[in-house]
Amino acid sequence: MNFRGHCYGLVLRSFRYLPFPLPLWSQSMARALLRWASFTSLETSSRLPFIQLPRTLNPRATSLAFSSSSAAAASSNYIHLSDEQLMAQCDMDTFKSSGPGGQHRNKRESAVRLSHRPTGIVAQAVEERSQHKNRAMALTRLRILLALKVRKAIDLDGYTPPSELLQILPAKSTIRGKDVGPQIGPNNPKFALGMQALLDLIFAVEGSVSETAKMLGLSTGALSRLILSDDSLRVTVNELRTSKGMRPLR
Amino acid sequence: MTLRFPFPVRSPLRPDLASSLHRRLSIPSRSSSSPTPLLSSDHRPPLFLRPPAFAASRTDLHDFRRWAESLALAAGPRLSASDGGPDAALLRRELAWLVEDATVAAASESGVGEELRLRVELEELYRLWRARIEERRPFQYIVGCEHWRDLVLVVKEGVLIPRPETEMVVDLVAEVEGFEKGLWADLGTGSGAIAVGIGRMLQEGGRVFATDLSPVALEVARLNVERYELKDKIELRRGSWFEPLRDVEGKLMGLLSNPPYIPSSHIPGLQAEVGQHEPKLALDGGEDGMDHLLHLCEGSASALKSGGFFAFETNGDEQSEFIVDLMSMKLGNFFHNIKMISDFAGIQRFVTGFRR
Repeated sequence: MNFRGHCYGLVLRSFRYLPFPLPLWSQSMARALLRWASFTSLETSSRLPFIQLPRTLNPRATSLAFSSSSAAAASSNYIHLSDEQLMAQCDMDTFKSSGPGGQHRNKRESAVRLSHRPTGIVAQAVEERSQHKNRAMALTRLRILLALKVRKAIDLDGYTPPSELLQILPAKSTIRGKDVGPQIGPNNPKFALGMQALLDLIFAVEGSVSETAKMLGLSTGALSRLILSDDSLRVTVNELRTSKGMRPLR
Repeated sequence: MTLRFPFPVRSPLRPDLASSLHRRLSIPSRSSSSPTPLLSSDHRPPLFLRPPAFAASRTDLHDFRRWAESLALAAGPRLSASDGGPDAALLRRELAWLVEDATVAAASESGVGEELRLRVELEELYRLWRARIEERRPFQYIVGCEHWRDLVLVVKEGVLIPRPETEMVVDLVAEVEGFEKGLWADLGTGSGAIAVGIGRMLQEGGRVFATDLSPVALEVARLNVERYELKDKIELRRGSWFEPLRDVEGKLMGLLSNPPYIPSSHIPGLQAEVGQHEPKLALDGGEDGMDHLLHLCEGSASALKSGGFFAFETNGDEQSEFIVDLMSMKLGNFFHNIKMISDFAGIQRFVTGFRR
């Protein structure tokens, strides 16, 4: 599915999804996120907390951000969870009651809204013809939103791109081994995983496409084309760049 | 409201059909207790299964969509305000689904200006959408199917359209240990939705008996069972509740039912799609809505084997509380682990439990 950043059915409710200390880029990132939120939910954006850490945050988590074994690091890998595990972190509801009962409960409603408790991210789907399918669609959207919104701090010294990122790179990348397999495009569900890793890197270099391209063994042009191939990826990168005073990619 | 075609209809309605359509439209709809099926569509297969024997230009279909959309936008606010009917947003989604069912998917890939293949005449699309808006004919009867879980079930007038919340019954069954090999009963199966949903998960030895009093329901359920190739897993039986199940009394691993549970006095206040078009037999649960539910509760003790599971859908909250009370107190010697389960709208919609 090619997710469109501006499509309806996606609401960002709060910003409780940074279970690790805020790195340098966080303030500008938060501004970008707030800007994102402002066109999805104009009414609430002014009242949103700036960054609200989860209540369960462990005080020791300050040292855990780079430790793969920690709960904090695991929780930022939501999109690696199985459908069942991810659903278990969500509250699901419909918008209205359905069933053929009395006046207030006779509304047939197959639309579904998923609220991801750890991050407050909300994804919904109305366009499928069964509740079952709307739930699956909302879950797919939630994964994309998590990829777009949940940032993991990375250590640029000695950075090696994870395999899911290599998989979305074009074949001409010099760091992409032959064993990586064919390039995964935006319509593949696995694209979200690579997109998340790519955004982690782009945010770590504060929006510089040329620096990111260098680290991925690509020309700036080739990386730009990859970013522009997916609407939601392009919007997210451009919001970051605009917040840094850089020209948006087009 | 006057509805007009935006262009001269090339093949006008046959005069007899036109007059009968007009007659029906001019009758105040509340007075019709059992709706007459629209035109000749009743005996035809659902839209999506018909051969694409007709053609229309892209422009023609575009004009239809624009006309239908303007009708939806004009009528939506009125329908949702009057009796909780569909709003404009839902009607527009239904319109997209109607076009999806009426056209051939592959044709949408072909170039601009080409002819599209249709499963109905373009003129009939106009008539169908008018019936949707003017007569409040349920969308699912118009296209002849309902998408439920990952199934596409055939439905038609005379059979209750399966509801989204009932999808959960299948999930409840899937949690029962060893369900795959048990004997199950879906009482009042209607279109066969629950039976087909369960039937697909069963393994060797597993079986569903799906009963209904209505011959129309059984005919539709048969179509759905056949479409999903479940004839060896689902046995359809005609009769009232437990009557057709005497031979398996005490042997059932599970009883499932979405019985009629609406209090009689609520029927006139239902949204027109439900109250005027769906079968009363499948809706009306008697004075307090619990006539059939109580019968099911009482019959479960002898129908289920020891350790057997039941899941019944109710009108929600008060009814569910009453049934939990009944099953755990008065019938507490027979049942245990009685629970209420909410649907996704937050209504306590299901009661489940086990035979001791």
